[in-house]
Amino acid sequence: MSHISYEEWEPVIGLEIHAQLKTRSKIFARSPNRFGDEPNTNIEVVDTGQPGALPVLNKEAVEIAVRFGCAVNAQIAEFSKFDRKSYFYPDSPRNFQITQFDMPIVIGGEVIADVEGKSKTFAIHHAHLEDDAGMLKHFSDFAGVDYNRAGVPLLEIVSEPCMSSPADATAFATTLKAIMEYLDVSDCNMEEGSMRIDTNVSVRPKGDKTLRNKVEIKNLNSFSYMEMGIESEIRRQIRAYTERPHEDPNVVVPSSTVRLDLDKKETILMRSKEEARDYRYFPEPDLPPIILTKEYIEKVKRDLPELPHERFKRYISDLKLTEYNASILVNDKQLSDYYEEALKVCKNASALCNWVTVEFVGRFKDSGTPLYKSGILPEHIAALVSFIDSKKITGRIAKEVADIMAKTPGRDPEIIIKENPNFQAVHDTSAIEPFVDEVLGANQQSIEDFRNGKDKAFNFLVGQVMKLSKGKASPDVVKELIVKKIS
Amino acid sequence: MYRKSALQLHDAFVKGELTASEITSYYLQRIQTLDSDLESFINVFSDRAMAKAEELDVKRATGAPVGKLAGIPIAIKDNIQIKGEVTTCGSKFLSNYVAPFDATAVRLIEEQDGLVIGKTNMDEFAMGSSTEHSAYQTTRNPWNLSCAPGGSSGGSAAAVGGRLAPIALGSDTGGSIRQPAAFTGTVGFKPTYGRVSRHGLVAFGSSLDQIGPFANSVKDIALMMEVMGRPCDFDATNVKKTPENYLDHLETSIQGKTVGVPWGFLDELSDGAQKVFEEALDVLKKTGVKLVEIKLTKLKYSIPIYYILSTAEASTNLARFDGIRFGKRSESAKNLDEIYDLSREEGFGPEVKQRILLGTFVLSSGFQDAYYKKAQKIRTLMIQEYKKAFEICDVIAMPVTPSPAFEIAGIRDPLEMYLQDLYTVGANLAGLPAISVPSGKNGNDLPHGLQFLGPQMSDGKVMHFAYQFEKALNLTGFIPPLFDKESAV
Repeated sequence: MSHISYEEWEPVIGLEIHAQLKTRSKIFARSPNRFGDEPNTNIEVVDTGQPGALPVLNKEAVEIAVRFGCAVNAQIAEFSKFDRKSYFYPDSPRNFQITQFDMPIVIGGEVIADVEGKSKTFAIHHAHLEDDAGMLKHFSDFAGVDYNRAGVPLLEIVSEPCMSSPADATAFATTLKAIMEYLDVSDCNMEEGSMRIDTNVSVRPKGDKTLRNKVEIKNLNSFSYMEMGIESEIRRQIRAYTERPHEDPNVVVPSSTVRLDLDKKETILMRSKEEARDYRYFPEPDLPPIILTKEYIEKVKRDLPELPHERFKRYISDLKLTEYNASILVNDKQLSDYYEEALKVCKNASALCNWVTVEFVGRFKDSGTPLYKSGILPEHIAALVSFIDSKKITGRIAKEVADIMAKTPGRDPEIIIKENPNFQAVHDTSAIEPFVDEVLGANQQSIEDFRNGKDKAFNFLVGQVMKLSKGKASPDVVKELIVKKIS
Repeated sequence: MYRKSALQLHDAFVKGELTASEITSYYLQRIQTLDSDLESFINVFSDRAMAKAEELDVKRATGAPVGKLAGIPIAIKDNIQIKGEVTTCGSKFLSNYVAPFDATAVRLIEEQDGLVIGKTNMDEFAMGSSTEHSAYQTTRNPWNLSCAPGGSSGGSAAAVGGRLAPIALGSDTGGSIRQPAAFTGTVGFKPTYGRVSRHGLVAFGSSLDQIGPFANSVKDIALMMEVMGRPCDFDATNVKKTPENYLDHLETSIQGKTVGVPWGFLDELSDGAQKVFEEALDVLKKTGVKLVEIKLTKLKYSIPIYYILSTAEASTNLARFDGIRFGKRSESAKNLDEIYDLSREEGFGPEVKQRILLGTFVLSSGFQDAYYKKAQKIRTLMIQEYKKAFEICDVIAMPVTPSPAFEIAGIRDPLEMYLQDLYTVGANLAGLPAISVPSGKNGNDLPHGLQFLGPQMSDGKVMHFAYQFEKALNLTGFIPPLFDKESAV
């Protein structure tokens, strides 16, 4: 998709992210919170809305919401409450959802995200707890409802309309996902639906202060679809305003809900604001308000683990990684944890980062398997990098060893090298000298250049020798010999 | 045997004078012969009750300890779940609904060896004050078969009044235990909101509903409350306090205590009711209490407030009856919308539909501020007013209803019917414990009730005053003449 020319227009984007929380049981019932089981096996009377069954709040869900709030520097409400949101749908066991309408548990907060190498701060409006619905399943001649998902705790995180590009939205969502993973509170798996994103998009002439009507995009189940949806919606709105410049903007782009058509890569109208439902919110009489003490909130804050932006800072200041490399690692908690495991064995942080994030991740790109699930042990990658550092092998040989490690995950690189004589670097001067002589003899001009102070020429000579030795010559020995012979 | 109280039956069982089987078959027999007049039971559990009774007899014979309710037959209002039994709520919608779990109140009763003998009739989903809104049958008042027993727990009240069961459970959202208790000459108690777990009580107005007992003496009420007034983890609004011992305190004198009377709020009383009430206060004075006037000026709003809040909650509580998961699904439905529309159209009676519509309206955007939110504010003021009143009195005494039992089909105007709740809804709105205890009869031989209300959590105090009043009044043999007889075998 070609880049949008925003020119006189400024997109305004806000996200609503639903994250399923990793609690042992459901938010209002004792049934297990587990994905992927046989339909209607993880249910009890509350989950199917049996008459007389009452919701009882799961404290674990509350703690997770508080942890999240503390992690994004939000205000934690000492008093919050639940409300009933009424609408009829077969996946809703009571035909009302229990949510937090006007007194959410998490107020405000911010997320610092890396957008194309630049650090940006995005504001969160609030986050609230609610219960998930069941799922409709369509069969050839009937439809059924699976209530396993009904009552799974959700944290709905609502951003301020603070983003202005699809890249902003992705950075915000990616960072939120990373935060949730670091807190270990949600799987944030968009394919399994444990993280779901609705986006609100509007555009306005640059410089305008007032917001125009927003359009909500539903059913975006990957980051790339989200970007596609936002981009297409921005284009559609700019086109509409541009084509009808003299009409009331409220008429040109009415508030509405759209969905992304994946074939056409366009947003399609689902319903306009006039058709919006009246949810008739009112306080849930079956649940007392959530009252939290300052001490409780402080304790949760104290017990927070290292968060992505903290790890990012540590990688830059302590490990001297580049911002780019640091953010690649930090945004993928499991990869980052894997890297840290390797770091225990090999202290060359930046070389290790390169080997982990480029060489090894690259070798699994096509299969789709994440490196940390590949079977390759982090200490083996660490060992490989250490062998290069200690001149035991050359970088070129290391790549061949890495190929074998990727094909036979779990094999120790030390054994791979030991078993193949070709992988052992040549340090013997007498074996390397003939190559040096041959290269020097054929490259008089480079020798001249080097004598005139051109480092490039020297590197060229070294490279030529390495090439002749098929990468096995120890680069240090080669350099030593060249220097000795031409200076 | 029907003249025995629940405690007397229990004592006779414990002493070996009566077996549980004898007691149970005696009451089952009474139901079989006499309930055709009352139609108080929707479902009678003959086999289940006899099996439990026989188990209990074996238990006693082996010398094992028996529970507090051993030997006592108990009827349950049909909006309280008993696992494996149908719970109709007096509605066609649930005619096929088998309860998948026990209500906490039922579990506690059975843990104490109470003998559940059947389910009693009620206004559909507890919406009504006469039990005429049952989809199944019209229950009659044991004192006069052409009169209504009150409602919504009319089946339970009639059963206890007619001595078809010594104890019955009801539920009280706006007076549904106390008004029928007054109409049938029985004692009916609505506990402090949250004292008895609502787990397994089909919800009507969640912030108002309470399960409570009917009996023929305050002592029996106290016994039941000792069993049911326990913390429950399945109800978040349940009071998490250690259960209290109510029976031990009943005999303590109330001399010198203060009883508040809201004279300014009693204009609606019929002449007969006024007379019975004043006589009851004279009796009460004999216990040595001091009467003081209290002002409850917000109570005049209690009917509109109650009908806004209870219907708002009900409109959402009853949304789950949609024909998808349980209950009746319309056979003519051809698509999803028709499943909703026709199942609800066919399954609900007119009173229920009216209240769902009213509740939906008061919550609608554009109207919520004027109705639901304003009602909540007045509810808060009302709670504060009660608090203030209890600063100058221990309990409040007032009538239960403006007049005694009315004829079946005698009240046609729904608003007039709603006025039945005038003196009872206040306790629900403020979550207060309140009891209705018989206070005598009027010229038509229909019973009246006196109501005591106490501050939240003062359930014991309310029962205590009611017991002292009952003792001072000493209504011996206050049994409906039609049922003051052994059933023919």
